[in-house]
Amino acid sequence: MSKSIVKSVSSKSIVEQAKGSFHGGIHPAEFKNISNQQSIKDLPIAAQLVIPVKQQLGQTGEVVVNLGDRISRGQLLVKATGILSANIHSPADGIVTSLSPAYVGHPSGMKSAAITIKTDLEQSEGKIFEPIDWRNPSNLEEIQSRIRQAGIVGLGGATFPTHVKTSSREINTLIVNAMECEPFITCDDRMLKDIPKQVIEGAQIVANLVKAKNIIFATEDNKQLSIEKLSEAISKTTESIPMSIVVAPTKYPSGGEKQTIELVTGKQVPSGKIPASMGLLVQNVATLHAVFNAVVKGQPLYQRLVTITGNLVDRPGNYWIAFGTQITDLIEHFNVDVNDCEKVIIGGPLMGQSVTDFTAPVTKATNCLIFNKADKTEKAWLTQTTEHQPCIRCGECEKVCPADLLPQQLLWYSQSDQWENLQQQGILDCIECGACAYVCPSEIPLVQYYRYGKSSLKDIQRKNVIAEKAKKRFDFKEMRIQREKAERAAKHKKAAEARRQAALDKKNDSDGKQQAINDALARVKQKKASVGQAQGVAQTETDEKKES
Amino acid sequence: MMNLSSPFFHKAMPTNKVMMLVCVALIPGIITQVYFFGFGVIINLILCAVFAVSAEYTILKLRTREPRTSIQDNSALLTGLLLAVALPPTLPFWMTFVGVWFAIIFGKQLYGGLGYNPFNPAMVGYVLLLISFPVEMTAWLPARELAVSLPSFYESSQLIFFAQTADGLTVENFRQLADGFTMATPLDHLKTETTLGRMNSEIFANPDMALNLNGWKWVNLMFLLGGLYLLAIKIVRWHIPVAYLLAMIITSFLLNTYDNQLYAAPSFHLLTGATMLGAFFIATDPVSASTTPKGRLIYGALIGFLIVIIRTFGGYPDAIAFAVLLLNIAVPTIDHYTKPVIYGHKKETELHD
Ligand code: SF4
Ligand code: SF4
Repeated sequence: MSKSIVKSVSSKSIVEQAKGSFHGGIHPAEFKNISNQQSIKDLPIAAQLVIPVKQQLGQTGEVVVNLGDRISRGQLLVKATGILSANIHSPADGIVTSLSPAYVGHPSGMKSAAITIKTDLEQSEGKIFEPIDWRNPSNLEEIQSRIRQAGIVGLGGATFPTHVKTSSREINTLIVNAMECEPFITCDDRMLKDIPKQVIEGAQIVANLVKAKNIIFATEDNKQLSIEKLSEAISKTTESIPMSIVVAPTKYPSGGEKQTIELVTGKQVPSGKIPASMGLLVQNVATLHAVFNAVVKGQPLYQRLVTITGNLVDRPGNYWIAFGTQITDLIEHFNVDVNDCEKVIIGGPLMGQSVTDFTAPVTKATNCLIFNKADKTEKAWLTQTTEHQPCIRCGECEKVCPADLLPQQLLWYSQSDQWENLQQQGILDCIECGACAYVCPSEIPLVQYYRYGKSSLKDIQRKNVIAEKAKKRFDFKEMRIQREKAERAAKHKKAAEARRQAALDKKNDSDGKQQAINDALARVKQKKASVGQAQGVAQTETDEKKES
Repeated sequence: MMNLSSPFFHKAMPTNKVMMLVCVALIPGIITQVYFFGFGVIINLILCAVFAVSAEYTILKLRTREPRTSIQDNSALLTGLLLAVALPPTLPFWMTFVGVWFAIIFGKQLYGGLGYNPFNPAMVGYVLLLISFPVEMTAWLPARELAVSLPSFYESSQLIFFAQTADGLTVENFRQLADGFTMATPLDHLKTETTLGRMNSEIFANPDMALNLNGWKWVNLMFLLGGLYLLAIKIVRWHIPVAYLLAMIITSFLLNTYDNQLYAAPSFHLLTGATMLGAFFIATDPVSASTTPKGRLIYGALIGFLIVIIRTFGGYPDAIAFAVLLLNIAVPTIDHYTKPVIYGHKKETELHD
């Protein structure tokens, strides 16, 4: 069926099959129908928002509001510090009621810096930026700084600050990542169905900015409706940069940046290089829409489209949700029976994380929330991690690894703390997709071992750096001590030399006296020579004493 | 305990089920063995299973581990069964006991248990027995059509437990043919006759040899069937068996072409001894085999090659166990040199536009 779609529109040569493929991959049950049938809706602003101060990769920004401040929708709350940082704006009018740390969803249960806002009942429009005429070539700098101002980060899950990626001017192709390969998640799919024109405009803005010559939308063949909508929108548009759609066979994790690139271009990103080195920029659908919002509507990134799904939700679908909205509010809004819900999964079931403390808020990284009753009969859900069976080296994991690693060897070296071998086996190339753990017959939580291995490796590298510095310091100190010692020794030698000289002079001086004493002693010796050994010994002792 | 860290999804056949299915796949071969060589096969299977599981249990208790989970992974059971089908059907029970316990203790548990053993445990036990009791270990009964009479279930158990039946018959009596000669396995027979200077055309013309071969052929075909089942349900991947069998065919073909009177044909090597059992059930033991795709090809091919070489030029009639153990030693080296190229580490990666 998917093939026929590709064919029917390929006459317009917009849609083509992916020319590349990547190693391995899995085909988990999709569960996408739960949430992709309904069109996008807004979620009313909750009475209280708990906004984490850090929501992206990189440095934490600086809080620029005070306790008790009255704030308006779109107002800056957290100011970016440094390049790898992003602004955070208020999604609502209201009052800052707390600046003390709150639980923001960290797996360890740790509290982090957060801004708590009590929101007003009446909400204003909250537009704070002037729209930019992005088609005017003289506005490029303004667009770039707008992306930065608006606090846009990669919304596919990585939360890498977008302005860093768009600062390149040597891009050939902008790849729009619409693979969305993880089960349950449908927000990008739904965006392409409902508002394809806005996504297209966002893509044009970015492509224009980075001087890309063409735009490729990369998607999977299980998203037929959005492919249709998108190609329709593309064929109607008058935008200047040519666009096409590449459709890959549905397979997890085709949405991984490296896998998407391999599917679209047939090439791999060389290890240690970034896609820009190949003239490529990959952006996720939601991110491009955020760019559209910021540039065309003047709206900063203070909300995002989130898939609300799972068998405990009464109205699953995709909703615009303000950052800081707590899961407790969603539980109430979607009539989730908390007794059945032992945990909520943030993100997808393969790479997401789970929380059991439902005060955790929605952040820039939250693309999906799964409220699912752990059905013991449903085999897909991994329910226990108590005691896994040993690795039997069956190689199933190797068969599915998209990074061409040998997960069983990574496991072996992680378990036995052999960090050097672990690095040689390429642990740093592991994208933590979880495909290996998905197929492992011994149900080994492989990814957890790799996370542990990676962090241990980083620790060691950090320690090595520290040790290296310490060694340099030590060497320098050694050198200094040696030098000082040598100097001291030279000084002493000189002094001793002087003393000896002095003594020698004195000796010469007193030689006459000494001679007299020696003569006298010789005489005494001669006298006593006949007395015997005892005296001889005593004599020696006296001599020794004299010497000392 | 709840699983709080991704992935939350899982879809795989659990290890214990994998092991169980391998046991199940042995069934056609086992039935054929029983048909051609009598009920001793069944008794051996039961003995081996009991010995293997009890050995595993005892050792785990001594290692103060919880034995239940390990027993439930069915790997000890599988080791026992694999050894059982490789043993002559009338082997004295205490030898079986020694072999199985040695396999579990020295072949597996002393290395840390399942997953850590560099050698195939069943083959460790087999080789110990073969070296310690070469006479008993090569005392196979003649196949059904050739035998004067196969021991009944009762007689088999008496042979196994008391070395003779109530009528005073020993294993040797059952091994004698109508003409008073004793029939060895076809591999054994070929070896002895070749050493005596006989030519292949003579040896294979012997109707006794043909009848005996027929039994072994069927046993091999049935293990092949079980193996194909494992391939079909994707428990065994094709690399090792295909490389193993191809290497055997090529090696024996070359030798046979060089001198067809001195060296047996590929068809003989494929359908006698433990060839098919080895190809699908023993060389494919994942724990002790190479773990990279290319490595598995090399590993399988070298085993197949060694089997023909040892059968032809070595001191023992069959060679699966030796070949497998030798290659087990080579696994770390093979794995080291056959690592797949990690994503992004390939040479040519420029982008055409
Ligand atoms: S899938 Fe699991 S048991 Fe099989 S080799 Fe990989 S880690 Fe080991
Ligand atoms: S988690 Fe890492 S090792 Fe496992 S399949 Fe994905 S990339 Fe490979």
